Amino acid sequence: MDQTNKKMHSSDEQESPSLKGTLISVLLLGSFLIVSWFGVYALFISR
Amino acid sequence: MHLHKYEKIWLIFGISSLVVFLCVLGYGAFWKGTHPQSHGVTIDPNNVEAYEAFKPENLGLTKVDDNRYIVNIVASAFNYDLGKDENGTAVRTIRIPKGSTVLFQLTTKDVVHGFNVAGTNVNMMVEPGYISSYEAVMNKPGEYTVVCNEYCGVGHHMMYATVEVYE
Repeated sequence: MDQTNKKMHSSDEQESPSLKGTLISVLLLGSFLIVSWFGVYALFISR
Repeated sequence: MHLHKYEKIWLIFGISSLVVFLCVLGYGAFWKGTHPQSHGVTIDPNNVEAYEAFKPENLGLTKVDDNRYIVNIVASAFNYDLGKDENGTAVRTIRIPKGSTVLFQLTTKDVVHGFNVAGTNVNMMVEPGYISSYEAVMNKPGEYTVVCNEYCGVGHHMMYATVEVYE
């Protein structure tokens, strides 16, 4: 009985995982895409 | 639905990038009138001479106004037909003064060819049955090599011409 209570308790308070690394990598990818867009646009305008 | 705070950040970032992209696309297409170089202007590939711009006497460079030129070219394996000069020899080089606006109009009699004035934005596919055109302002003096950048057969690498932009 004690054990089932404990289990339920722990699943209720499940901590959300840290997504900091994911955020940073998504933003890095996003900034790479934006830099390449502007790079290609600058090339188009200059030619 | 529960969304993590960071998840909201990249969703907003991603969706707004998409919106910006679509706005740029719409602005270019509907306000600026940009379109693909070949956009549905058709021609009979077996009889390109029937089309005014591709009659043998209209090929090559034509001055239409101050600083405005038209270049008509018929591509075929493995040659760009730029017309003939007064001696009857085939033209290989086109000379254009700096700062002019040039409309390139091309078609092909046989297979798919490319037309790239290397180092400029003039770069297009030339498909049989269609007319490809691109208008460019030639601002940088120099000698540009025109190359075919769609593999068109064994003589593909022999297919070139020159555009010279002079001061």
